[in-house]
Amino acid sequence: MFLFLLTSLFGVVRPPYRLDNLLKQIVFIGIHSLFVIVLTAAFAGMVLALQGYYILSRFGSEGMVGPMVALAIVQELGPVLTALMVTGRAGSAMAGELGVMRIKEQIDALESMGINPLKYLIAPRVEASLITLPVLTAIFNVVGIFGGYLVAVQLLGMSSGTYWGGIESKLAAKDIYISIIKSFSFGLIVAWVCTYMGYFTTRGAEGVGRSITSAVVLTSVLVLIWDYFITSVML
Amino acid sequence: MPPQDKTTNLTESPWPIGEMLVKAGQISLNHVEAALAHQSKQIEPDLIGEILVREGIISQPELMAFLVAKFFEERKEYAAQPLPPTAIRFAGVEKTLDGRKVLDRVDLEIPQGKITAIIGVSGGGKSVSLKHMIGLMAPDRGQVFVGDQELGSLTKKQLLRVRERFSMLFQGSALFDSMNVFDNVAFPLREKTRHDPETIAKMVRKTLAQVGLSGMDAKFPDELSGGMMKRVALARALVTQPEIILLDEPTAGLDPIIENAIHHLICDTFMRARYTMVIISHAIPQIFNWCHHVLVLHEGKILESGPSVVVMESQHPVIKQFINGNLTGPIKVI
Ligand SMILES: Nc1ncnc2c1ncn2[C@@H]1O[C@H](COP(=O)(O)OP(=O)(O)OP(=O)(O)O)[C@@H](O)[C@H]1O
Ligand SMILES: [Mg+2]
Repeated sequence: MFLFLLTSLFGVVRPPYRLDNLLKQIVFIGIHSLFVIVLTAAFAGMVLALQGYYILSRFGSEGMVGPMVALAIVQELGPVLTALMVTGRAGSAMAGELGVMRIKEQIDALESMGINPLKYLIAPRVEASLITLPVLTAIFNVVGIFGGYLVAVQLLGMSSGTYWGGIESKLAAKDIYISIIKSFSFGLIVAWVCTYMGYFTTRGAEGVGRSITSAVVLTSVLVLIWDYFITSVML
Repeated sequence: MPPQDKTTNLTESPWPIGEMLVKAGQISLNHVEAALAHQSKQIEPDLIGEILVREGIISQPELMAFLVAKFFEERKEYAAQPLPPTAIRFAGVEKTLDGRKVLDRVDLEIPQGKITAIIGVSGGGKSVSLKHMIGLMAPDRGQVFVGDQELGSLTKKQLLRVRERFSMLFQGSALFDSMNVFDNVAFPLREKTRHDPETIAKMVRKTLAQVGLSGMDAKFPDELSGGMMKRVALARALVTQPEIILLDEPTAGLDPIIENAIHHLICDTFMRARYTMVIISHAIPQIFNWCHHVLVLHEGKILESGPSVVVMESQHPVIKQFINGNLTGPIKVI
């Protein structure tokens, strides 16, 4: 499995670069996941603000809702939920597509033409995932914070100055840095596990189904484990 | 295409097809020379037929009929000739899949520049041996040679190089679902050659026309019948004009007329460029007429190999039963 990753990463860095394939994958992973990311982000931000407001008001510190929402989203929920949503939307599809290509001998056909399928099929997916996940996470973060703003300011009547001011004073560059590192590494995990599961599919239609399930489950679990690990190191 | 050592007299001539036609009295030498004089570029031998057709000296069907007739003669003579050099060789190849020994110390030789048919009962390991030839499967024991290169000793990169000399039609067609017919056929040209898009489009249209699929460019594989998919896959295998062409059941699931047309097409393609061709086929007995050499693969072993005219008359009980399709005999069916 590591060899698989290494070989396809090698394909990432070595020419000839396949821009058309890469763009297709970026559109597939990025643009097509955008809607679901925005939706999740908005509601995650809103519910955080709502919950946070009631919890913090017990301690009389409801002024801190802004920073709480922002930190939770930027450090944790943004990267993790983005990775999970992309896994469900694009990762499963990747595993399925590659799985069908495997059982219908299309991957063999590529090889028979002297084309390295790791380079042709896997590398662009890994690259696209590495590029899009940080971008999607950034979008998630912004939308999430706005979702929090909607609830805290528009619904619960907090002053907008308090909300933004709190975020400005508490959100540090390091938090954003953590967000980027996390989303980047999640991008790697998503593409690696999902393409691997699809690529090594066996046994017909049932096998494709099994590959998709294991891809989604394993990716989600690995994302959460890795998240814990990276958080404990970086905080 | 890299130069091959062509063994027969006919192919030593710089324009074998033209010479064959002249010898047979179909056209005069003046015709050929006149036609060739019009050509500005260096002429590739396998294009002579094209040029003669384009110059109106002979029609496409006439040329095909002529080539096929020539092939039938050549096929009969093949038995009497010394064996040509080998293009692919198995030495003691063993392969176990899912606990079953599919290939059991197989030794075989595929003659260069000839059409070889592999026949045998279903599940006998024909497709598996084809995949060994192109290195998609590696033997558990034994060696596979392509020319003088042993596939097991090559690096991944060298193996990809070797594969560029091949093209293969898969039993299940293996068309790319996400591409339409045109793109499927154009794919190997786009990936592996430096032709400009116009040339590629021309080559693709021509090959599609040859397999009888003009005007189907924009269809996707899931909109095609099984027979159409087979023909697209055949077009994809023929379009790159490699040295060695492996065809896994090119006529399975086709009606008898199209089957015959495909056999003609394969033969015609062969006569123009003298590829090494390996065809797996269940089209018994027709396939015997369309190949020089036959290998019979049975229970993981080569039962018989030799010129098709010889194998066809084989008295081996298994082969006799197989050719006649009898239910009783050494092969237990039910
Ligand atoms: N990838 C694989 N994994 C496991 N077993 C396989 C695989 N491919 C083929 N086999 C087994 O190898 C045996 C030979 O298969 P093969 O496809 O070569 O048969 P065949 O001679 O081409 O038959 P047919 O004429 O039906 O196409 C079969 O028993 C098959 O189950
Ligand atoms: Mg087969």
